[in-house]
Amino acid sequence: MRSSAGLPPVASSRRGVLADAWTIGKAFTQAMRITFVNFFRKPVTVHYPTVSRPFPNRFRGLLALTYDKETGEENCIGCRLCEFICPPAVIKVEMLKGEKRNYAKFFSLELYACEFCELCVQVCPTDAIVMMKSFDLATGDRREMLLDKDRLHAIGLQHEASWATGNRLRDMQQPPKKESAKPEAGSAKPEAGPGAAGA
Amino acid sequence: MSDVRAIDYQGSERLTMNMGPQHPSAHGVFRAILTLEGETVVGVDAVIGYLHRCHEKLAENLAYVQYPTIASKTDYVAAMCSEAAYVMAAEQIGQFDVPRRAQYLRVMMAELQRIASHCLWLGTWCMDMGGALGGGATIFLYCIRERELVLDLFEALVGARLLYGFHQVGGVRYDIPEGWTAQCRSTIDLIERRLDEYEAMLEENPFFAMRTKGVGTISTELAQDVGISGPLLRGSGIAWDLRRSLPYSSYEDFQFVVPVETDGDCFARYRVRMVEFRQSIRIIRQVLDGLPEGPISSRPGVKSLAQVKVPKGEAYARVEGPRGEVGCFLVSDGSNKPYRMKWRGASFSNLAILPHILVGCGVADVVAIMGSVDPVFGEVDR
Amino acid sequence: MTAAYLSLPRAVQALVMGGVVLGALIGILAYVTLLERKFAARMQSRIGPYRVGPHGLLQPIADGVKLLLKEDLVPAAADRAVFNLAPVAFLVPCLLIFGTMPFAPGIGVSDLDNGVLLFLAISSMEIVGLFMAGWGSNNKYALLSVMRAVNQIISYDLPFLFAALVPVMLAGSLRLSDIASAQSRLWFIAYPLLGQLSFLFFILTAVAAENRAPFDILEAESELVAGFRVEYSGMKFAIIQLAEYAHVLATSFLGALLFLGAWAGPGPVWLGPLWFLLKALIVFLLLTWIRWSFVRIRVDQILRVSWKLMLPASILLLIATAATIVWRLPHA
Repeated sequence: MRSSAGLPPVASSRRGVLADAWTIGKAFTQAMRITFVNFFRKPVTVHYPTVSRPFPNRFRGLLALTYDKETGEENCIGCRLCEFICPPAVIKVEMLKGEKRNYAKFFSLELYACEFCELCVQVCPTDAIVMMKSFDLATGDRREMLLDKDRLHAIGLQHEASWATGNRLRDMQQPPKKESAKPEAGSAKPEAGPGAAGA
Repeated sequence: MSDVRAIDYQGSERLTMNMGPQHPSAHGVFRAILTLEGETVVGVDAVIGYLHRCHEKLAENLAYVQYPTIASKTDYVAAMCSEAAYVMAAEQIGQFDVPRRAQYLRVMMAELQRIASHCLWLGTWCMDMGGALGGGATIFLYCIRERELVLDLFEALVGARLLYGFHQVGGVRYDIPEGWTAQCRSTIDLIERRLDEYEAMLEENPFFAMRTKGVGTISTELAQDVGISGPLLRGSGIAWDLRRSLPYSSYEDFQFVVPVETDGDCFARYRVRMVEFRQSIRIIRQVLDGLPEGPISSRPGVKSLAQVKVPKGEAYARVEGPRGEVGCFLVSDGSNKPYRMKWRGASFSNLAILPHILVGCGVADVVAIMGSVDPVFGEVDR
Repeated sequence: MTAAYLSLPRAVQALVMGGVVLGALIGILAYVTLLERKFAARMQSRIGPYRVGPHGLLQPIADGVKLLLKEDLVPAAADRAVFNLAPVAFLVPCLLIFGTMPFAPGIGVSDLDNGVLLFLAISSMEIVGLFMAGWGSNNKYALLSVMRAVNQIISYDLPFLFAALVPVMLAGSLRLSDIASAQSRLWFIAYPLLGQLSFLFFILTAVAAENRAPFDILEAESELVAGFRVEYSGMKFAIIQLAEYAHVLATSFLGALLFLGAWAGPGPVWLGPLWFLLKALIVFLLLTWIRWSFVRIRVDQILRVSWKLMLPASILLLIATAATIVWRLPHA
């Protein structure tokens, strides 16, 4: 720990004017040395929007609805769990009953009020709603941020999805089964590194 | 003793100056009506409430699974500590276990958050004292540069940079991904080196010493009379740190020093926080070295609204946030929503010291003192 | 062209030269603000203005146009005449001091026998403009800040003068071109101890006399929200900014002249003004470096430093210089 030096530069200090002046001079040169050293460091500026920084895998960005990878069907079954869990209640869903499975007849998400808390992603049983690795949705009109189902699907196709989907999150948080003595390892799901989040 | 809040408006040359709520250095929305006599403050009338967002009422309407994200928004600069208080209160009532790995992760996030919060404190404090165009801005940008690295760590873990939703009743929601440990180690190594730079710029700087030594002195008796906590208390000679005195979440497993300074002025509080920086780094290293394997939650992840039901009871959970004791008093009635939540914001209690220390100082000292008290108005107004 | 110029009557010569100097000055001032911003940015791990023009080169022009287009607000309770005249009263002395300085032997509006004294006297007149600005704004913040500023500038003008007198004594003349030519053998800053100390005092008192950080209590944004400038908008604000930078630049030129040998430099004689400009920019960057490295101190501490430290120290320095001259220098 450094000693506290640096008395006010009053000429009548007990240690004498010269000692004071020496301390002050040293302190000044130290501070200016730090700024000097920083002058030659590379600036940390990221030239957004020409350059965009790499987002980590779990980035919570825009919300989107997904299609099933194999069958191309919509993943959403209209169960409304996301609607119930959302703290600011921005999601509105209406279920459409089908023969084999259900769909969402109507799905709207008010992105301007969304907290980006990822709870809807957490509860979704079919990994239908996910967050993207992008936040680029600045508009001049708030109505454009009231996302309907088509818009949500379009966003899903436009950007890259984050690693976090409902099933993966719930697996990660699952406590060990009582019958097995060996507890599950912390993160069993393999995933790529957190992305080159730069220094 | 006369009531310190009674302002004497008699006297010549008295000027009433309003500082805030829109002010470059009001640290948030805070209004101080200062009565000045020349350059000296003779009275201060603090007005708060500009950021009131009804957290306590919201908590009665949101379930235990929904509220932790909202709890971040009280002390938004130290969101991890705020969420922890709420979640720990619920766990205390329901006697839920928290697995060791989750406890260690909570500790690590709290300490990383303390580093980030203190970076912001140092930057904004120096900027208040040095001006937005001047040396203060330089230190501000250096601190923000380092804080961004810590926020990158949080982003890699949780996905969000400022308001996380990391805690849940029974544990935490996210486990550390691959490569995160290495990134964390290199980040805290870098921050430790940069801390040396900040101290070099400030510690023996006579200008800084002139602005902070002897300014805003809180005596030990005053500190004990007024309900302040955190670095304000420890800067006035009282060795009280909840992590040491009432350990929670496995803090007893870690070795760290609780810094105490006896001067009670702004410089003493600055020293306390600078030591806390380094001790947080020390704790994080211990956590990384000793992180146990295991589950990150004793209860399954959030699947539905009615999932977490806390039995009837009440509890008060307290955590040591960067600003002091953050506490959550929860009364539950057996359903999935609390019956009542009362939030003890550290900054709200800390602001009570202002009428005692602001009177008698110069106008320029007001900003130095406000900065060293380090209020965040999310906690004050809730 | 030189012959044509020299054949004009002296008064017209001064006019022409004044026009040239003023024109060059405005251009240089605009880009000096950009230089300061980029320099400060690099010290803070960021880049300065970047988007407007290649690497921000059109930024000063954009700023100027923006300020021109802004609404000109005059507070209802303000003293209109004083309020409107204050920027001009502030600007005129700051530009006028460039008229007392030669930029090369023979080039310059005037080169009077008492150049240094005239420089310092005219530059002190900016206080009047400052005070008018604070008073005319009818605003508590502005008034507070301007009272402090007047106090501060008056306190620091004395040590500033004494620090500037050291090269005067070493050169034996108040005329600026004499001081410059007296450095033909060795720049005054290189004189052992005397030169460096007086340069150091010069820089410190210049920082204080111009209300630059760390002594910028006048415009302490975080406490007084821009101080005396708080009620100004649009072109008047631009004039105040220009005047401040002009003053700083003029002091840098003076510093370069008194200590760094003015227009001495390798190459042909017509490169002299460019070398002078370069040295002045180095002094300016030194002032900028100091500005961006320190937090500011309270006004009572600033005044205490001035009266208890700088003034006795600079008087002692003068006495030491006098003693050195009597005992060491041949031409005394």
